[in-house]
Amino acid sequence: MSVAVNNLSVDYRGHGPDLHAVRDVSFTIPPGRMLGLVGESGSGKSTVAFALMGLLQANARITSGDMQIGGRNYDLTKNATAPLRGRGLAMIFQDPLLSLNPVFTIGAHLTEILRVVAPREDAGRRRAMAEEALAKVKLTDPRRRLDQYPHELSGGMRQRVVIAMALLAKPVLLIADEPTTALDVTVEASVMREICALRDELNCSVLLITHSLGLVTKYCDDMAVLYAGEMLEQGPARAIQLRPGHPYSRLLLDCEVAIDQPRHEPAMANSFKVIGGELPDLRAPVSGCVFAARCDRAVADCAVTVPSAVRLDAEGRHSARCLRIGVS
Amino acid sequence: MAFLLRRAQAALFTIACVMLMLFMLVRSVPGDMASIMLGPRATPELRARIVAEMGLDQNIFVQLWLFLTRVVRGDFGEDIISRRPIIDIVAEVLPNTLILAGTALFLSLVFGILLGLIAAKSRGSWADSLLGLLSVAFVSTPSLVVSIVLLLLFSRALHWFPVAGVGDSGDMLDQLAHLVLPATALALGWIGYIARLVRAALLETLTEHHIRTLRAYGVPEWRIAGIYALRLALVPLVSILGIGLGDLIGSAVFAELIFARPGIGSLIFNSIAVRNYPVVQAAVLIIILIYILANLAVDLINSRLDPRIARAMREGRQA
Repeated sequence: MSVAVNNLSVDYRGHGPDLHAVRDVSFTIPPGRMLGLVGESGSGKSTVAFALMGLLQANARITSGDMQIGGRNYDLTKNATAPLRGRGLAMIFQDPLLSLNPVFTIGAHLTEILRVVAPREDAGRRRAMAEEALAKVKLTDPRRRLDQYPHELSGGMRQRVVIAMALLAKPVLLIADEPTTALDVTVEASVMREICALRDELNCSVLLITHSLGLVTKYCDDMAVLYAGEMLEQGPARAIQLRPGHPYSRLLLDCEVAIDQPRHEPAMANSFKVIGGELPDLRAPVSGCVFAARCDRAVADCAVTVPSAVRLDAEGRHSARCLRIGVS
Repeated sequence: MAFLLRRAQAALFTIACVMLMLFMLVRSVPGDMASIMLGPRATPELRARIVAEMGLDQNIFVQLWLFLTRVVRGDFGEDIISRRPIIDIVAEVLPNTLILAGTALFLSLVFGILLGLIAAKSRGSWADSLLGLLSVAFVSTPSLVVSIVLLLLFSRALHWFPVAGVGDSGDMLDQLAHLVLPATALALGWIGYIARLVRAALLETLTEHHIRTLRAYGVPEWRIAGIYALRLALVPLVSILGIGLGDLIGSAVFAELIFARPGIGSLIFNSIAVRNYPVVQAAVLIIILIYILANLAVDLINSRLDPRIARAMREGRQA
C-alpha cells in the first residue's frame, strides 16, 4: 500500500511574521520505491521529513496536511504520527558522527530499538537479532561491534549502524535525510546500496532527502523538486532527467558537473553553471510562481498567476507547475 | 593501569606537599609550641619534658624528618593530654564523620538528580520555577543555619528526632534517628546545587542529535531522559563530587558541633580550642587524604561513565 502525503504546510514562528517554510506539498511513494526529494538549502526538504516524523522544532507548526500509511489516515496537524515512530516510521540522519550516543555501545542502541519493536523477546534473543542486523548491513565482525562505542567506528560504519536500526524497526516508510552528505564520496555508494537493499528486503517506501541530483538519478525511482517550500515538479527520475518540465529542474540539472566533461588546464577556465539570485523571503506572501524572479523563461504573467500542475505524460505520473510549458 | 600509576604518583606528591605545609603551619604559630600548648601556668619542668618528648629542641630539619617518617608509618605521636596514641583518637571518631558525610552525599545525589530530572522534563512549567526557587534557596542557606533551624523545629518543638549525639552503639535505629537531621542539614545545599547542575546538563544533552535518533525510533521519553541523557549529564556531576565530599566534611564541623556528634570536625574544633596542635595536624591530614582519594575515585568513575574519557586517559591526554 502506498504512502501518501497530502497538502503539507509548515510555518515557523519567530520575530516578526511567520515564515511559511513548506506550502501545500503532496506526494505518493508506492511500496518498494524510493522518492528523491531534491532542493537547495532552505527549500524546506528537511522540514518535510521532520514534519512526517512529528519531530519538528518547538517553534514550528504544521498548519495543514495528513499522511496515509499502512491503509490508515493520520492528521499531521495533530502530531498523529508520533506513535508510529519505530512502529511504521524510521529515519536515517544526516550526520552519523552525531546520531549515536557516545557513552552507549552499538549493541545498547540496537537492543533499545528492539525493546520498542519486539517487546516480547528476551535480552539474549534481542542481542542475537542485533548481531544479525549488523551482519545484514555488511558490518564486519558484527559480534565485536555490539560491544564497541560509536567513537571506535568510522562515519560510514556508524551510518550502517543507523541503517541496521532502521532494518530492525521494519518501517513502512523510511526517511533518509541527506544520509551521505557527511560522508566520503567513496563511502556514499556503499551506504546508498545498503539503503536500497533495505528497501528491497522490507518492500517499504523510501523518502530520500538530498541536494544531490546525481544521487537521485542514480538510485531513486521517482523524483520531486522542491523550491522555497513548494513542489515545482514530480515524476519518474529518469523522465525528469531526460525531459525536465520546469525551468528550475532544467537549471538544476545543468548545474550538475558531468563526469566526462573535458577539463581545462587553468582551473579558472572550468566554469560551473549557477542559478542567479536568491531564495525569496518566505515571510512575505508569495504571488504568482515562486521561482519567477530567478527564472530564465519568466514573462510578466508569471509574477501574478499561480501556475497549476501540468501533466507531462499519458499516465499522469510526471507533472510540473509552470505557465510556460508547451509555449516555446 | 598506567593511568592509575600516574594518578597515584600525582596523589603522593600532593600528600607530600600537604604534610610539609602542615608541619610548617603548626610551627609558624608565634611563640614556642610547648608554651602555647601548656599555657602560662606550666612549670618549667613540665615544659622541658614536653619539649623533649615532641623533639622541639632539635634542629628543624631533624624535626621534619622525624615527622615525615613517623606519619608514613601511621604514627602521629602520643597525645600529651590523654596520653593515648593520636591515631587512635582520630580513628575513633572518623567513622562518625564518614557516615555523616556519606549519608549526606547519598541524600544529595538521590534528591538532587531526581529534582533535576523533574525540572528538566517540566521545563518552563510552574514545577520547574518552584524547583528553581527551592534550589537557589537551598544553595544559599548555610548548613550552619539549616542545622539550627532543623534542630529547633524537629527536635525541640516536634520531638521527632533526638537532639544530640550519635546514638547507642549497636542500636542501628537509634543511630539512624541521630543521623537524619545533621545529614539533611549538610545535604540540603548540595541537593539544590546538584538539581541545578543536572537540569542544565540534561537540557543541553536532550537537544543533541543522538537523542533525536532515539525519539525517531519511538523510545519512550522517560527512558531517553532517565537513561540515555542522564548518563551523559552525570559526567560533569561526578567531576564536582570530589570537591563536594571535601566540602561536606568541612561543613560537618558545624553540624557535629551543633548536634554534639563526636567526629573529625568536632575533634579539630576542640583541639584548636585547647591548642592541641599534634591532634589538629593528624585530623587535617586524614581529611586531606580522604579528599585526594575521593578525587581519584571520581576519575575512575568518570572513565567508566564515558569511554571517551577512558581512552583519553589511556593515551595520556588531558581528559
